[in-house]
Amino acid sequence: MKKRVIATMLAGAMVLSMTACGGNADSASTPAPAETESSAADDAAAEPEAEAEPEAEAPAEATGPVELVVTTTFAGEDTNAQNYKDAVAAWEAETGNTVVDTSATADETFKTRVATDFETGSEPDVLFFFNGADSNSFIEAGKVMSIDDIRAVYPDYASNMNDGLIADSLVDGKKYAVPVNGFWEAMFFNAEILEEAGVSKPDGNYTMDQFKEDCEKIKAAGYTPIAAALGNIPHYWWEFAIFNNQSPATHLEIPENVDDANGQAWVAGMNDIKELYELGYFPENTLSATDDETFAMFTEGKAAFLIDGSWKVGGIVGACQSDPEDPSTLDAEKLAKFDVTYVPGKGDRKASDLVGGISSGYFITRKAWEDPEKQAAAVNFVSYMTSDSVVPAFAQHAASALKNAPAVDESEFNALQIKAMEMMAGTTSLTGAVQDLFQGDCRVSTFDGMPEIVTGRVAAEDAVAEGLETYHNQ
Amino acid sequence: MGANIYRNKKPALVFLFPAFLFMALFLYYPFFKNILNSFMEIKQLGSAGNGFNSPWYSNYVEMFQDQNIWTSVKNTIVMMLVTLIGQVGIAIVLALMVDNISKGKSFFRTVFFFPIVISATALGLMFNLIFLRDKGMVNQLLEMLGKQSLTDWKAEGIALVTMMLPVMWQYVGFYFVILVTGLNNISDELYEAARIDGATTLQRVRYISIPLLHNVICTCSVLAVTGALKVFDLPWVMFPKGMPLKTTFLTGTYMYYHTMETKNVDYGAAIAVLIVILGVILSKVVNWVFHEKDY
Repeated sequence: MKKRVIATMLAGAMVLSMTACGGNADSASTPAPAETESSAADDAAAEPEAEAEPEAEAPAEATGPVELVVTTTFAGEDTNAQNYKDAVAAWEAETGNTVVDTSATADETFKTRVATDFETGSEPDVLFFFNGADSNSFIEAGKVMSIDDIRAVYPDYASNMNDGLIADSLVDGKKYAVPVNGFWEAMFFNAEILEEAGVSKPDGNYTMDQFKEDCEKIKAAGYTPIAAALGNIPHYWWEFAIFNNQSPATHLEIPENVDDANGQAWVAGMNDIKELYELGYFPENTLSATDDETFAMFTEGKAAFLIDGSWKVGGIVGACQSDPEDPSTLDAEKLAKFDVTYVPGKGDRKASDLVGGISSGYFITRKAWEDPEKQAAAVNFVSYMTSDSVVPAFAQHAASALKNAPAVDESEFNALQIKAMEMMAGTTSLTGAVQDLFQGDCRVSTFDGMPEIVTGRVAAEDAVAEGLETYHNQ
Repeated sequence: MGANIYRNKKPALVFLFPAFLFMALFLYYPFFKNILNSFMEIKQLGSAGNGFNSPWYSNYVEMFQDQNIWTSVKNTIVMMLVTLIGQVGIAIVLALMVDNISKGKSFFRTVFFFPIVISATALGLMFNLIFLRDKGMVNQLLEMLGKQSLTDWKAEGIALVTMMLPVMWQYVGFYFVILVTGLNNISDELYEAARIDGATTLQRVRYISIPLLHNVICTCSVLAVTGALKVFDLPWVMFPKGMPLKTTFLTGTYMYYHTMETKNVDYGAAIAVLIVILGVILSKVVNWVFHEKDY
């Protein structure tokens, strides 16, 4: 009997071990080549002034070339994936140091990987990551250095940034992440489809009612009105549908419960998406398609509208190149069909009230900071990547936190980037994304549960209530 | 003196110890730790957790109320049946056919075995393109044959079939090779005697090949059923998060979903315990059904 019990346990353990196992980049423009001569900011950061405050500890000095482990979100379809590679190569050439790059596309699995790395002590030396609720766990654990702590030793660290634009941590109000570029979320559209369907270009006064009328015309013309994979990435519609039932002043307030005003706004937002689904404006396979598939529908001229972020400009441009890696193969005529405008508004939110801001930045981990071999190199790396010469290549048409942002040279931009800049010029307000504050398993009922909501299998009210309950319990 | 050195078993124990230590450290410790974790509140992979759940067995209560668990268990059992019939069944037919040809045996062995060496993730991406709704290979072929509308091969109702076909296809070659080896071990004299007695090809297969392959088929069946429990990568690549409408979850993918996506790590640990229990029960059942015979 004893043998049998042991055999059963061993078999069980083996099954567990088996089940436990498992585990297009393109650039929007030719990135401004990263300068091989370091900027003043770099120099200053790398060689702290002798007149540093007396109590400041001396900067650590490396004895030779250093290998830095760096994790960022500049990967996959991110507009800046190629810019990042170029900048890293230039920094390596300049300093003789090397970067072990572990960047990946920013999805939930990536966020889990980063958090797990911190929990298990295998965090990178430098991390480019979200500065909202996603970074709470490792800030709470004291595993990253605040900008003020770094400045105590390297007084000019991030001195080229406007501190007012660097986000405070939700944990302790300190600033940790040195930003590179801001983001915006807006609505891309295919001008050719709109013209064929007899729809005029949306402007800053575009309303949800007009949008529905236009979708009807587009559908009648034989096109899919909205490219979105509700079963995969409903994030953008989730954000704006809620925003449309609030105002810029209230959008970042997480409801106390489903019955208060904000809670009801969230429910109304979910029901707005459900209405669009029932009207047949999303792709027929919106519940089973991946985001890549619906994005391809948009770039191939089969769907008219796409709500996404500034990082998608690069993806659209890449889709207009015969070689996504080579900007010289751009089909300008094809790119000219694409445009970007405001997401239709409703109630107290005007279409030109956008979601955006500066939500990511470079963190230096305590592990790298306390390593005398790596400290100066990590500071130098971040200073280089956030210098006045490198940031503009990343920021392009989006905002940055630079104090002295150089004048934009439009001649270096492609048609879509210029349209994006024109759109941004008419923005009436820029509000952060509430989903950056609403993190973890509280999202599951309305993000992963979106298909159940739009098909009516779960009431929007119940899904929102479940998410809020989880949020307030965590 | 010379013969005594063979009676001393201590050196063998010394050599076994590192392997035992490795297993204890990387298999049995995590196994028992996982059971403990399933009673705790853990919101981050790798973290120590915030004490025990209240009540400590709450994950297991939740499991009984979770519709997705039943969907994933049901799908896993379907996957086992598909594996048995689709993989082992097809492999038997292929092995018998290849055994009956005189030339090209090694060619077919290589061809049928080849999918095994391809990464499941790469296969998943490839089948994503094959079953793509818009301009996917299957829909293009159907279009050429005159079909007017596009079929969504990942839609609710048909998604499970679309998921299981590639899994089935990938492993047929594995069982095929085992079965062909089994057939090679059957003495030619038996076939020759049967031929002299006037037995047809089908009769030789029915009365010689199949009975003598019994034990090999049993081994393949046990491997197929236990293998179905750990299928993960290909389904996850093709149907992340149980798309559409959480209808394609398997026990493995559902565990991963909670551990990596929803950050409900303790619930993921509880699902892992369920997988172990399921594995032990099913292994027993399969061993009972497909018990080997002594010849």
